[in-house]
Amino acid sequence: MNNAAYIQLFKLAGPEMLIALAALAVLLVDLTLMRGAPVRARRVIAVLLTGVGGFAAALYLLQVPLRAVSWGGLWAVDPLTQLVKLGLVGLAVLTAVLSLEADYTDHVGEHFALLLLATVGLMVMAGAADLVLVFLGLELTGLSLYPLVALNKAGPRATEAALKYFFFGALAAAVTLFGFSFLYGLSGTTNLAGIAAALRGRGFDPLLALAVVFSLVGFGFKVAAVPFHLWAPDAYQGAPTPVAAFIASGSKLAGFFLLGRFVALALPESGDAGRAALFTPGWVPAVAVLALASMVLGNLAALAQRDLKRLLAYSAIAHAGYLLLAVLALNGAANRPAALAALVYYAGTYALAGLGAFAVAGHVERHAGAAALNHLTGLGRRAPWLAAGLAVFLLSLAGLPPLAGFPAKFYVFAAALNTPHAGAVSLGLVVVALLLSPVGFYYYLRVLKLAFVTESEKRPAGPDAPGNSPQGGENRFGVETAVALLAAAGVLGLGLFPQWLLGPLQAAVREAGG
Amino acid sequence: MSPLERALVVSALLFGIGLAGALTRRNAILVLAGIELMLTAVNLNVIAFWRHGGQTASAAGPAFVLFVIAVAAAETAVGLALIIAWFRQRRTVQLDEADTLKG
Amino acid sequence: MDAQLAQYIPVLILLVLAGAVSGGMLLLAHWLGKAGRRTAAKDMAYECGMVPVGGGSTRLAVKFYLVAMLFILFDIEVVFLYPWAVVFRELLREAATANLIFWAMVSFLGVLFAGYLYAWRKGALDWHEPRRAGSPAAPNRSR
Repeated sequence: MNNAAYIQLFKLAGPEMLIALAALAVLLVDLTLMRGAPVRARRVIAVLLTGVGGFAAALYLLQVPLRAVSWGGLWAVDPLTQLVKLGLVGLAVLTAVLSLEADYTDHVGEHFALLLLATVGLMVMAGAADLVLVFLGLELTGLSLYPLVALNKAGPRATEAALKYFFFGALAAAVTLFGFSFLYGLSGTTNLAGIAAALRGRGFDPLLALAVVFSLVGFGFKVAAVPFHLWAPDAYQGAPTPVAAFIASGSKLAGFFLLGRFVALALPESGDAGRAALFTPGWVPAVAVLALASMVLGNLAALAQRDLKRLLAYSAIAHAGYLLLAVLALNGAANRPAALAALVYYAGTYALAGLGAFAVAGHVERHAGAAALNHLTGLGRRAPWLAAGLAVFLLSLAGLPPLAGFPAKFYVFAAALNTPHAGAVSLGLVVVALLLSPVGFYYYLRVLKLAFVTESEKRPAGPDAPGNSPQGGENRFGVETAVALLAAAGVLGLGLFPQWLLGPLQAAVREAGG
Repeated sequence: MSPLERALVVSALLFGIGLAGALTRRNAILVLAGIELMLTAVNLNVIAFWRHGGQTASAAGPAFVLFVIAVAAAETAVGLALIIAWFRQRRTVQLDEADTLKG
Repeated sequence: MDAQLAQYIPVLILLVLAGAVSGGMLLLAHWLGKAGRRTAAKDMAYECGMVPVGGGSTRLAVKFYLVAMLFILFDIEVVFLYPWAVVFRELLREAATANLIFWAMVSFLGVLFAGYLYAWRKGALDWHEPRRAGSPAAPNRSR
């Protein structure tokens, strides 16, 4: 490597470095200048610094030449990755704003620094073009998010959630790495495109199948697909709500984008020699099984939930199943651009709706002590704006037409039905997804019924929620309301005009060359 | 057996032992140790493929291993920190007592 | 069976072996662990032939783990100095790359130093805590 290459790396990884610098700045400022200041002031300063870092990174992302080539094959910078990174930075800033009310911890500097470092990890995931960087991105994200989940002085439940999240994550990472080591051994390179080139045209190979299936474990964990989902409900419920919102939105978006790119770049598409070819690359049946299990289990388990955050976790698992349909559609070069655009569109709009729903859950939790479903009763009258936002998010998640969830599902299903060589499998999965839609409707509508219809005269003060704040306090136009309204506007806008996002996405995919 | 195969056997054994330990142990520290063993198996695998697979021209293998080692250390530190936090609250490191979150 | 597939038979065998050995160890421990008679002398902790002082498994203060954590981190980060040291001479010869190799290491150590400062300011390096009695980090009895 020479000097020029090093400088180019600085240029291409500029946004990530800006965010990382912001993380260090937040940590050190909180520890030195703001020492002894009231917690509220420290939070405001930290949010401001986060915002400045995010804004600088976003400007950089918009301004850097988009056609830059990868640096030594490690790092991909193309319009598509820039777009996804822009989304990730946006989600991080929204999460930071949401954390302005983060009265669950006194570790202000750590909270925001870890949030920013997790964002760097997600951006690395989005831009990785090499097994080493894929691994580093996954781990940086994970290692920042585990302690974030634990940052809740409310007690042992958050620590327990973090511990579960950590152990599942570490185990999944180790299995994935074992798969990576075989991918490296079989292909002789750690470069994703190089791996695909080396593996193309191989016959059925048990070791390759093993390597691919092992590699998929870590991605399955990141996106919370069944059977690697066990951490998700606990982590979502135990984590501070802004952190849960970030895991549900940012981590999901980057995880699926990385999975899509990994599948598209590193794993050869199945040949055209009929049925047997389907099993050659190994990942198609594995992803199909994950998709089916996630859709069925996520939707059915969501029915039984009594806590809004747990319900959102299971609904997230169900949506992971739908998103895996789009990943499946990446098989076959002709279908790839459409499938990739649909995948990112779905993941992006899902992230927005999920973040908004968690903002509402955070508001309920702050005022009632927990986000149990029956704490929602009468939300429509107590906080009409928030309740309206919740309706928009949940109906979008259910896939109702004027909202973003509808075009998202439509394009994903369309891409899945166009999948070559796997027509029957994809058709079956789409049918299952459609059959499960009413189930989704049912549990989303149940939540909305509680919020709008059920009378709240016997207002349940949860056993652990003695400090119900006065009504006036809840009506205040807080940051949660602002974030929820912003996200709701986004969901509605992207639902009415899907081309706003889909157009740039398709152009970016074309330019990035699939 | 060729040197590569011997190394792969050892690493597969290490991985199996680590996985078995991580899945069956109830003590959080020992689960962490099992996971570390799995990562060691990965390192051995990569180095064996690099050394005996005719890939010594590129430094990708050793570089990968260095990163895995460093990240494994960071992972251990985060895991230990979480275990300590949990121990301070619950006075235990037995994972089967992590059961307050259900549903 | 074609040659390409046969090539991987050893690997499959070793996977089976891995399962068998790890499972076998657990089973053996299960069976053999109960064999033999236990006496008070056998159960005693071994301490260089002396009569042991205190129990065999004393609990260590949680502080030890904190120090262990910091040690692991700063110890292992040094791993990145090795590849740097390997190419260092070669790159030092040219003026352009000499700058590069210097600043690369400075930026790495800078991040490491920020972490060190953080640990320091947080008091993670102080062995004696100001509030000792009843602090959560003090050695403890169970429950």
